[in-house]
Amino acid sequence: MNSLAAELLLLRKRVAFWVLLGFWTGMSVLFSYILPYYAYTNNLKFHGRVVGPAALFLLLPQNLVSVITTAFPFFGGTMVLILGALFMGSEFNWGTLTPVFTQRASRMRVFMSKMAAIGIALVPFVLAVFVLGYVASALIAWREGQAQALPPMWDVVKALGAGWFLMAAWASFGVLLAVLSRGTAMAIGLGIIYGLVIEGLISSFGQQIDLLASASKGLLRTNGYSLITGLGATITGGEGPGGFAGDTVSVLQASIVLGVYVVLFTGIAAIIIKRRDVAGMS
Amino acid sequence: MIQTTELSKRYGQDILAVDGLSMNVERGEVYGFVGPNGSGKTTTLRMLLGLVRPTSGSCEVLGARPGKPETLSRVGALVESPSFYPYLSGRDNLRVLARHAGVPYSHIEPALAEVELTKRAGDRFKTYSLGMKQRLGMAAALLKDPELLILDEPTNGLDPAGMAEMRHLIRNLGKGNRTVLLSSHLMGELEQICDRVGVVKDGRIITEGTLEGLRRGERIKLRAQPVDQTRQVLESLAGVGRIELTDANVFLVEADTSRTAEINRELVAAGVEVSELCTVRLSLESVFLSLTEEEEQV
Repeated sequence: MNSLAAELLLLRKRVAFWVLLGFWTGMSVLFSYILPYYAYTNNLKFHGRVVGPAALFLLLPQNLVSVITTAFPFFGGTMVLILGALFMGSEFNWGTLTPVFTQRASRMRVFMSKMAAIGIALVPFVLAVFVLGYVASALIAWREGQAQALPPMWDVVKALGAGWFLMAAWASFGVLLAVLSRGTAMAIGLGIIYGLVIEGLISSFGQQIDLLASASKGLLRTNGYSLITGLGATITGGEGPGGFAGDTVSVLQASIVLGVYVVLFTGIAAIIIKRRDVAGMS
Repeated sequence: MIQTTELSKRYGQDILAVDGLSMNVERGEVYGFVGPNGSGKTTTLRMLLGLVRPTSGSCEVLGARPGKPETLSRVGALVESPSFYPYLSGRDNLRVLARHAGVPYSHIEPALAEVELTKRAGDRFKTYSLGMKQRLGMAAALLKDPELLILDEPTNGLDPAGMAEMRHLIRNLGKGNRTVLLSSHLMGELEQICDRVGVVKDGRIITEGTLEGLRRGERIKLRAQPVDQTRQVLESLAGVGRIELTDANVFLVEADTSRTAEINRELVAAGVEVSELCTVRLSLESVFLSLTEEEEQV
C-alpha cells in the first residue's frame, strides 16, 4: 500500500494528469452533445446528414449510455494511452527509477503499484465524462421540454465498467510502449500513430481483404467498439479518424480479447522492468 | 559489509565497464572508491545496489545479494546526479521515496535539516540549483537512517563552501558504526574523509589500502637544471627509485629522505644548478596519478 500511495501522490500532483482529464471530458461532451445539439437547433448536417427529431432523442438523458460510450474506444483510448506513456515514460526521462528502486520496495511492487495507480486514475476519467454527459443531456432535455428519465442503473454500471476496461487496455499499451522505448516521446508518437492510422487502415482494408478482416477482429478498436455496441451504443459510421465501419464481435469475445491485451501488455512490461539494467537517464 | 569477487560487467561485445573487480569494505569505515571518469565506479555502485546485473563474479552487501528489499532497507544511496520528480517539491519527493522505503514521514524533516534544505523544501525540484539537488539527494540517502551509505560523487556541483560542508557531513555520518562507500574522482576530497581507499582504473582495483600505506612515505622534491643532466645524475645514484618530472624543472624523487644532503652534493659536483631541495609528503592525488601512470606503462 505504501508504494501505491507514493504513485497516487505522483499522479495527483501532476498537472498533465488533470490536463488530460479536463481535455478528455471537455472534448467528449463537445462532440457527443454540444455540437450535435447545435446542429439540431440550426438544422445543420451532422455526420453527413441533416439531423431531425431522432437526433434530439439521442441527446436525452435516457440515452446517456449509448451516446457517451462511443467516445471511449478511440478518443478515450488515445487519451489514456498518453496518460500511461507519460506516467511510466517520465521515470526514464527523469532517471527517477534509480532512487525509487534503491529504497525498499521491489521492482515488481513498484511497477504493479504504478499500474494500480493508473487503474485508480481511470476511475475519474470514466466517471467525469458520464457526469458531465448527464449534465449536458439534462440541460438539453430541460431546454427542449423533454423527459429527464435516466437510463436503467444497471446499464449505467455496465457502461462504466466497460469504459474503464477499454481504457485499461489502452493505458497498459501506453505503459508498454514507454517501457520499450524508455521514454515518453516515442511511446506517445507510436501509440497515436498506431491508434489513429494503423488500426484504421487495417479495419478499412479488412473490408476488402479477407485476411485483414480476420486480423481486424483482434484489434483494440474493433473489440472496443464491439464492447460498447453490445451495451447499446450507436456507432455513427466510418468517417473521421476514430470512426469504425467494420464487423463487430460478441461482447464476450471483446471482453476476453481486451482482458488478454491488459494482461499481455502489463506482463511484458513487468518482465522487462524486472530484468533490465537501470543505468541512469535514458 | 561489502565484498565483491571478480565482479565484471560487460555491455555488448565491446564495452567492459568493470573487469574482475574485487574489494572489501569493512563495517564502520569510510571507504574511498577513487578513479578517473569512465573507470567503472558508477557501474560498480549500481551493481552493489542491484540496479545493474553483473555479467560475472559475485558481490555481497550486508551479507546478502544486492537489491533485495531487506538489504536495500538498510542502505542509503546517492548514485550519479540526483534524479527526482521535477514538478514535485523537495519535501514531496522525499515523501514519495519514504513511501517506497516504508519509513514514516517523521524522518523527512530531520533529513532536510541535516542537509540544510528545510527553507527551500517546499519549492519545486526543477527550481533547485545543482548544489541544492545534490543536497536533496543526500537527504534522500539519509531517510532510512542507513547502516551503509553509498555515495557517488556527492560534492558534484557544490561550491567550495558547500563541498566543505558536505565533507564535514560525510565525516560525521561515518562516525560510529555506519559504513560509507564514497566514490569520487577528486583525490583531495577523499584524502580528507576516508579511512581506506581503493583505486580503480579500467574497471579493476589497481591498489587498495590505508592512505598512509598508499602514500608510501615521503619524497624528495628538487628544482634543478639542466633537466637532462639532473636526471642522469639521479639515475646513476644507488637507492634512488622512481624519478618524476612534475614541472619544467621540478623532480619528485623516490629515495630515503635522509640522503638529501648526499644527493645535493652529487648534483652540484656534476655541475647541476640546484635552486630548491626539500622533502614532501605526497598527496593522494599525486599517488593516484603515479599509480595510474604506472599501470599504463605496464
